[in-house]
Amino acid sequence: MIASFGFGVLVLTFLVSLYGIGAAVYGVRSGKAAWVESARHAQQLTFPLVSLAAGALVYLLVTGHYEVSFVYSVTSNAMPLYLKITSWWGGQAGSLTFWIWLLSAFTTAVTLRRWERDREFLPWVIVVSLVTVAFFLALVIFFENPFNRFWATPTGEVEAFFQPANSVPIFPSDGRGLNPLLRHPGMIIHPPMLYLGFVSFVIPFAFAIAALVTGRTDDRWIRLTRRWTLVAWLFLSLGLVLGGRWAYDVLGWGGYWGWDPVEIAAFMPWLSGTAFLHSVMIQEKRGLFKRWNMVLIILTYCLVIFGTFLTRSGVLSSVHAFAQSAIGPMFFGFIGVMFILSLALLLYRWTDLEAEGHMHSLLSRESLFLFNNLLFMGILVVCFSGVIFPLVSELLTGQKVTVGPPFYERATAPLFVGLLFLMGVAPLSAWGHSTIRTLGRALWKPALVSVVVLGLVLLAGVRSFGALLGFWLVAFTASVTLYEYGRAVLARARRTGENLWMAFWNLAGRNRRRYGGYTIHLGIVLMAIGIIGIEIFQQETQGTLKAGDSIQLAGYTVTYRKLDEFDAPDGRNVARAVVDVSRGGRYLGELHPRRDYYYASQQPMTIPGVRSTLEDDLYVLLVDWRPISAEGATFKVFHNPLVNWVWIGGIWLIFGTLVAAWPDRDPEVEQARTVGRERLARQTA
Amino acid sequence: MDRGEVMSVSETTPRRLPTVVIVLAFVLLLGFLALIAWGLRRSMSGPISVGDRVPDIQMITFDGQTIHSRDLAGKVIVVNFWASWCKPCEQEARELEEAYQYFKDSGKVVFLGLAYVDTEPNSKAYLEKFGITYPNGPDLRTTVSQMFRIRGVPETYIIGSDGRLAAVKIGPFQSTQEIIQTIQPLIH
Repeated sequence: MIASFGFGVLVLTFLVSLYGIGAAVYGVRSGKAAWVESARHAQQLTFPLVSLAAGALVYLLVTGHYEVSFVYSVTSNAMPLYLKITSWWGGQAGSLTFWIWLLSAFTTAVTLRRWERDREFLPWVIVVSLVTVAFFLALVIFFENPFNRFWATPTGEVEAFFQPANSVPIFPSDGRGLNPLLRHPGMIIHPPMLYLGFVSFVIPFAFAIAALVTGRTDDRWIRLTRRWTLVAWLFLSLGLVLGGRWAYDVLGWGGYWGWDPVEIAAFMPWLSGTAFLHSVMIQEKRGLFKRWNMVLIILTYCLVIFGTFLTRSGVLSSVHAFAQSAIGPMFFGFIGVMFILSLALLLYRWTDLEAEGHMHSLLSRESLFLFNNLLFMGILVVCFSGVIFPLVSELLTGQKVTVGPPFYERATAPLFVGLLFLMGVAPLSAWGHSTIRTLGRALWKPALVSVVVLGLVLLAGVRSFGALLGFWLVAFTASVTLYEYGRAVLARARRTGENLWMAFWNLAGRNRRRYGGYTIHLGIVLMAIGIIGIEIFQQETQGTLKAGDSIQLAGYTVTYRKLDEFDAPDGRNVARAVVDVSRGGRYLGELHPRRDYYYASQQPMTIPGVRSTLEDDLYVLLVDWRPISAEGATFKVFHNPLVNWVWIGGIWLIFGTLVAAWPDRDPEVEQARTVGRERLARQTA
Repeated sequence: MDRGEVMSVSETTPRRLPTVVIVLAFVLLLGFLALIAWGLRRSMSGPISVGDRVPDIQMITFDGQTIHSRDLAGKVIVVNFWASWCKPCEQEARELEEAYQYFKDSGKVVFLGLAYVDTEPNSKAYLEKFGITYPNGPDLRTTVSQMFRIRGVPETYIIGSDGRLAAVKIGPFQSTQEIIQTIQPLIH
């Protein structure tokens, strides 16, 4: 009953979206604003409707309606309530529904803004948003219906929404349960964040397409979508960081980033999105890069859709691969149409998007931004070629050759180094005109500080070239950024007579975009410290220990004490080792690396015991064990220096993005308020 | 002509995009789409199903011997995917060896074991533990398991003497008898 209701609502939403698309196009063609308004209402209806369908699905999940095949495949009686809810996005059909729900939330929100000044954009924004919504709805309705039920027919069991002839419904008493790998807090938040990032890029794309269709080539569309883009970027960054954290905690290979095709699929829109965030500033300030910004936002949207396609169609094999499904061809059709239309539209308007100015100096801020964009594109090209290389190789040689992390690391490392360096230089270069001399004058103090730091690192005994270069760059960029802050705060304090804190607060408050950006830069610097630590200084060892034996790594001693094996109430068998950790003879505590074996899914999971400090992580994995613990267990031990800075930097970055995206007071509202106040003052006078 | 002049020229007449560039952009995009379409078709063609001809399987055993399935034409080939970390695999390990011994003298059945995503010492220890004597080797670059698109281990694929896939078993065999009964009808 509830399932039928949910499905019915999805179909209704699909029809409403189709109507909205038609009404918007008709309205703009015939010049009848009422039709556009009606399309807008249709779009506003999608979110409440999808929410109803989503509510039905969550109800089925929570109440254990295992006759619904999706519920059966992701939940079980033993699972706690919060997992039953979050298993909503634990499988293909559910996560597509979840995706649609988020997408409709964003597209509905965008119609709620005031459109007075941007009427001409409205119909096209509606068309682009609703086409995307309708496409995903079609996927769910025709191919991946989360409301399908089990039926017993004379020839066997089938999954279908409508009852097949001569069949009876089946009501299983328990479900298969959520994939154990997904029962981690990081995994519960990681997909929603990533999806939010993905879907919110639809909005700037919709505005860009609207600008192209209407031929309004000023930077209005960029100003309108700046905050949307930042929000999209925020969620995408958050999704990537959380995904890394999940991998580190759960996958048990001692790292957080494996250059897996699906990770890269999420990383690629992040790269083009980051490039976009930077280059739009040039268009706003100098009227340059108009075409480039269009290219970037179209690319970002296409990469979002392409990434989703890669993850879900099974074209590439990956640890993230969803079950093979029939959505591939339809997805492909959508991608083809969107890519071709966008490209055609872009080329059609190419001449109108002529830049309004010129670049005058190689070292000016705008040309440094151009280099920044080129570097981001370079990394994107590396990632993209790595992702499709297996396909190309299979086509040409018949053998599927996958490129591994070493390829990506070697190819992108110099580009990342370049980006880090630019991050240091660019904030101090001037708009319009900059020379070596002006730049040198601005940079010498922070550069000096960074050289001092380099000396200290050398004194500490670091000799690896990569690490020295990395730490110098980190120090350089951090000191430039802090110097920028410091200089501006001091200047303000001197000018206004405020104390330093007030000066800092007001400065950052007045220029949230700028200082939010610098804060993000600092976050990246902190992350870079962690990445240098784990990439260059990670050590590992492995050994089979009898009880009482020890293994040593990086000054730590890990002593194996005992192993317990027991059944946990949620259907898993746990082998949990107890090891003592000490360093330089000082006892630091015990760790519990364990191996969980889930009976229902026959899936083992290795959960590390981690001792985590700002300086380093000691990461102990239980690799193998024998039933009798006296025979010993095999441990793999990783020493991951500085890795925590990756997470700290991630949090810092998110904080910076929030600062940058925090809504300003609307200038129009402000103006109206002042006018009102003045009028009031005049009247009372 | 100095550079300033070029700039002023481009300022006055908006540059039209050369047709070559437009064509090239579309060719690149269509080429990319074609590649993806081809990859999609490959992935949609799905696993080899029962009755399909099985392409040549190449494996290098832990003893360094290279085996090609095409050299074994006319025999029934039992391809078993396993791993030392896989608990359910242990349930059928001894049974597979017993079935191998049962058919060994007939010379009509070949057993091949492929270790899926495993380390050599662990694999060898596993083979020793269960006394397995038929040829075993790692599935290098998971080529063979990709060919069959296995979903996990253990899985067993039995190729008939005509070179076509005759039977598939997902999960462990329950008994030696079950293995023998699956293979017996395929021997001519």
